[in-house]
Amino acid sequence: MRALCWNGINDLGVETVGDPRIVNPRDVILQVKMSTTCGSDLHFIDGYIPSMRKGDVIGHEFMGTVVETGPEVKKVHVGDRVVVPSFICCGSCWYCQHDLWSLCDNTNPKGELQEPLFGYQTAGIYGYTHAFGGYAGAHAQFVRVPHADTDCFQVPEGVTDEQALFLSDAVPTGYMGADFCGIQPGQTVAVWGCGGVGLMAQKAAFLLGAERVVGIDRYPERLKLAREQVGAETISYEEVDSVLDVLKELTGGRGPDACIDAVGMEAHGTGVVAAVDRARQALHLQSDRGQALRQAILACRKGGTLSVLGVYGVMDAFPMGVIMNKGLTVRSAQQHGQKYLPRLLEHVVKGELDPSFLATHRFSLEDAPRGYELFKKKQDGCVRAVFLPN
Amino acid sequence: MRDTIQPPGARLGDRGRRLLERGRRFDSEALLPQLASALVGGTLLTLGLRRGRLGGVAMALAGGGLLFRGTRTDQEPHVRKHGVVVRTLRRQRGRDTTVELTVLQRSITLQGTPDALYRRWRDPETLNQVMGHFAEVTASGDGLQHWKVPGVFGKALEWDAEVVEEHPGELLRWRSVGDTALPNEGWVRFRRAPADWGTSVTLRFVFDPPGGVVGEKAVKLLGALPSLLALKALKRFKSLVEAGEIPTTRPNPAAREGGYSS
Repeated sequence: MRALCWNGINDLGVETVGDPRIVNPRDVILQVKMSTTCGSDLHFIDGYIPSMRKGDVIGHEFMGTVVETGPEVKKVHVGDRVVVPSFICCGSCWYCQHDLWSLCDNTNPKGELQEPLFGYQTAGIYGYTHAFGGYAGAHAQFVRVPHADTDCFQVPEGVTDEQALFLSDAVPTGYMGADFCGIQPGQTVAVWGCGGVGLMAQKAAFLLGAERVVGIDRYPERLKLAREQVGAETISYEEVDSVLDVLKELTGGRGPDACIDAVGMEAHGTGVVAAVDRARQALHLQSDRGQALRQAILACRKGGTLSVLGVYGVMDAFPMGVIMNKGLTVRSAQQHGQKYLPRLLEHVVKGELDPSFLATHRFSLEDAPRGYELFKKKQDGCVRAVFLPN
Repeated sequence: MRDTIQPPGARLGDRGRRLLERGRRFDSEALLPQLASALVGGTLLTLGLRRGRLGGVAMALAGGGLLFRGTRTDQEPHVRKHGVVVRTLRRQRGRDTTVELTVLQRSITLQGTPDALYRRWRDPETLNQVMGHFAEVTASGDGLQHWKVPGVFGKALEWDAEVVEEHPGELLRWRSVGDTALPNEGWVRFRRAPADWGTSVTLRFVFDPPGGVVGEKAVKLLGALPSLLALKALKRFKSLVEAGEIPTTRPNPAAREGGYSS
């Protein structure tokens, strides 16, 4: 089959690789209908997250049709149209049973690679470095899905492929970030980042009862989406002297009740601190640029909640004293998609949520490298590039 | 950390007596170090064998020996490597050689009762799957298990093991029997974990190689790999029991190795 492979730092190529096979009895093989780019892919494409190997198939956000099932698969059948969360989960370990799905104990065959860094292993992910399992990704014609009965979610009639596609990762990640905030009626939520996850976090904040949502970014077309598609107020951080001051004024001096970081380790920013961050990361003196995260910590009201969705490595220069003195609650996770998917599908069916506007660009799989280029450089208003491999 | 020098011939006898003593007392804490040692040694051994070189084998053997000896101390274990409880003991061997002895122990927590997990472990097929990353374990009659670590100089390293102590739902100890290049033993312990965590399982391996000891060099050359062997065995057991299968990406579509990777 054809697949998009990582051949080195900033070197992607569409290659002919072997077809995936049923390996374990709970596997299914999915014919991929759609897959999409994700900001976290950029971190290993750029080489900031290690443990990719030349020739690995990438891509972790996808939906498709089941074409083959293993002997122990009970609920999923050939022909089913399904969406699959990006984390591979067994459904039976302590973490899965406590709705902490991305922390599954049993799906990362190379968990020992993570333990020196994290202390304990996390679940495996499709197409996302060997530390996260080394599973082949979904920017391909076919993909193997382990533990299909747990990880495949039927897409109901009336839900389009594109709507379902983003329920794989962007929507549950954003929704989880808003859920972490414990939003009460009348509250204000600020979200750093107006990419796919940030926009979905803003939408989810409204669905969960926020009165006001503020989106922060620098790209006019993304800020426009936040205003027009989500109904958020927006701040372009390049056009204001101080995001902190603007947020204070928007909230009568109190600050947002909750702040969500949907940016992560490759944050852009302005001023000296951003330049220093960038230089230190380039010189491998630090793994992360923490501009957005630090700003969110500073802006959050006293006693508020900080929800971190952005992907980080081992960040230094972390302002713990601010968190401690302001009494912030910090919550973070990789997405627990299996927890949220049923209710997200309901939102889509009821017409309360339509994430398909994230799909600003479509490509054949053969053009995927161009799609990533556009996505990475945010050219032509690209929020998400969708690949159609078949 | 200094220990009395034992003549090689007396070593096994001494060990046996100590084990028996401990077994009678059934102080499971006292038994743990021995099992862990066995596990570590096994790991070293396997790795060395896999390398298919004489040096590797020697290292493996030496590492195993170190492990076993470490178990015989009553020192508290201390952490030496990532997540691996290692204990070391310097012991003089012969006139001019000092070796560092290493004991390794790993624990994991998984869903299930100690009784159910113990029964699962006792299933010969389970052990074969759990140890499948380095050894084939088959029932060889008379209650013996046959262990086979493939690929040493194109030959396999093999031994029979017998269960020497059995406390259903709690502890199982085994030991190699007869003439083998790699005398070893191991144990596994099951203890109820708090709240709804299920059961904590602890595993040790002790290998006791004969003859020349490469010792410290073996452990150093093997690096963190021996600890991975024990850890992987436990992880494989956990996944097998909880998720019904052991996770793998083999073979995996990729633009290498003929379109696949492992």
